[in-house]
Amino acid sequence: MDFQMASLFASGAFIIIGLFAAVFIDNLIKKIIGIAFIEEGANLFLICLGYKAGGVVPIFMLGMSADWFAANSAYPLPQALVLTSIVIGASTLAVMLALAMVLYRKHGTLSVSEMMGDEK
Amino acid sequence: MNYLIPLMVVVPILAALIVNIFGGNDKTVKAISLVVAIAIPLIAIFAAVGVQYFGGHDPALIASLLPSNLVGTLAASYNTGIVYIFENIERIFIFLMGIVAFLAVLTYFAEKKKVSGPYLYLIFMGLASVTALMLSNDIFNMYVFFEITALTQVGIIVASSTEDNYEIAMKYMILGAIGGPMLLLGIGFILGTIGSVNINDIIYAISNNFVNPYSPSLVIGFALILFGWLYSAGLPPFHTIKSAVYSKARPNGSAILQGFSVLCMFAFGIAMYKIFAYIPYFNTAIILFAILAMVLSITMSAMEVDFRRMIAFLAVGELGFIALGFGIGTQYSIAAALFQATNEIVITALLFIGFGTVYYLTKTSDTRKLGGLIAVDSTMTIMVLLGGFALAGVPPFNGFQSKLMLVQAALDAGYTELAVLAIIVSVVIFFTFVKAFHTVYLQPKPKDLKFAHEKIPKATVFSVAILLIICLVLGIFPNIVTDIFITFAGGLI
Repeated sequence: MDFQMASLFASGAFIIIGLFAAVFIDNLIKKIIGIAFIEEGANLFLICLGYKAGGVVPIFMLGMSADWFAANSAYPLPQALVLTSIVIGASTLAVMLALAMVLYRKHGTLSVSEMMGDEK
Repeated sequence: MNYLIPLMVVVPILAALIVNIFGGNDKTVKAISLVVAIAIPLIAIFAAVGVQYFGGHDPALIASLLPSNLVGTLAASYNTGIVYIFENIERIFIFLMGIVAFLAVLTYFAEKKKVSGPYLYLIFMGLASVTALMLSNDIFNMYVFFEITALTQVGIIVASSTEDNYEIAMKYMILGAIGGPMLLLGIGFILGTIGSVNINDIIYAISNNFVNPYSPSLVIGFALILFGWLYSAGLPPFHTIKSAVYSKARPNGSAILQGFSVLCMFAFGIAMYKIFAYIPYFNTAIILFAILAMVLSITMSAMEVDFRRMIAFLAVGELGFIALGFGIGTQYSIAAALFQATNEIVITALLFIGFGTVYYLTKTSDTRKLGGLIAVDSTMTIMVLLGGFALAGVPPFNGFQSKLMLVQAALDAGYTELAVLAIIVSVVIFFTFVKAFHTVYLQPKPKDLKFAHEKIPKATVFSVAILLIICLVLGIFPNIVTDIFITFAGGLI
């Protein structure tokens, strides 16, 4: 199994584990950790798409010919996309953790079923 | 270069940052907010139709600089930067959303003595995000702005300080944190197959058979993007959380939130249609979710005793009509769906703000505790009733015209059963609304009903009146927008 395929399997595992936690685990913090797993799995999946075996970092340096660079560099677009996606994921996570703190103070528990049980 | 196109996004972002900085100074915040809220629809009106290549990445310029081993390949035709496309259809939607935002801000100022900088920040940031979502021709850029929109929606619920708003915000976040990455994965599958996230590039690659249009990766990509679309629009299985979100915000916030959802639905719906309409069962899948949205949401609204929740379910049910038009997939049905989307933004804003005055007056939304409110403000009562008629599709309002178009399109396409369903659902909407209206306004006032405020602010009455006038104008002169929609839908097909 090559590096790209192994990473794709890892991203799939991240997403499945994350989905399981987000859907089936009752503890809010564990749910949030599961969601972080899903986000990171999606990011890893995107990164894998730009992988090129034996390729070079997609930064054009002095002394490189344009043709050689085009033929040998990794695809930079997924890396740029993932950078943005990481920022979004971090923001989402921060908001969820802030909400979790407020809900814990209000209900005195991290159990989602108990929190939402009295919600109309 | 048409600088007004990026300004439609830049101006609300700047406004958001400035009102947040001046959060403590009410007069400054109000002045800035109102000026910007007026400016946004005006920019949409005056901006010329055009394309904006960010970073100067005009494909023609890039093509002349390509390395020789890329010349003639698929990659040579790709857009290398983010592209915004502004056409008349975007002008209509951005203009109407700007008007709704302006009226919502006006209502907020009238009903709240001390304004909140962060709340206005969220409104403007959300407005900037949905505008960018509408303009962008890049599915990843759309995903980014969709996530920002979702975060601002959560923020608006939290800032509304209503009962159980944190619980609903958290539920929405959790579902969004699953829906968002699914959308991203779908985009990843397309990127992995085609190598670009620009919608025009993707269509070019598929239509010229550079990739197998039926490759499993593209079909999986479609399924994941469809899941994200359902979440963004609030179609089943997300209809209950979406309606809960609307009912937990302030009335002016609900009006804006619903507008955001319609624009997200429109932007992703059009993108999906452009890219995936060739996939077998594409139309069937959309129709299935449209029927579920219409039937489930309207049934749930009929059982509600909380009028805010009832309107929220009706609003989500109306989204089903939009999806139905997309699903039927003819030029006329897509035009009808776009017209329905336009009307949905205006009518639901009217009802959220108009019916919201009941909550402003009494601080309750339980219809069992309400009654006799016609005595407080008969003008508002009549306007709310007319707004309900527009929602149900009673002539001469805009809702009638768009639903008539939709029914005609369904009949023309041979979907008689869908036309009948649309009519039945409209009748149920009518009766549900009239029942709630009768309970709140016409039945005798309960003895224990207490008032938090004695009068409805004039600005709120003005806002509802403006929205009602728009409903009437679009109902009497639908050609103002339908000609543009029919031309656009023709290009799409």
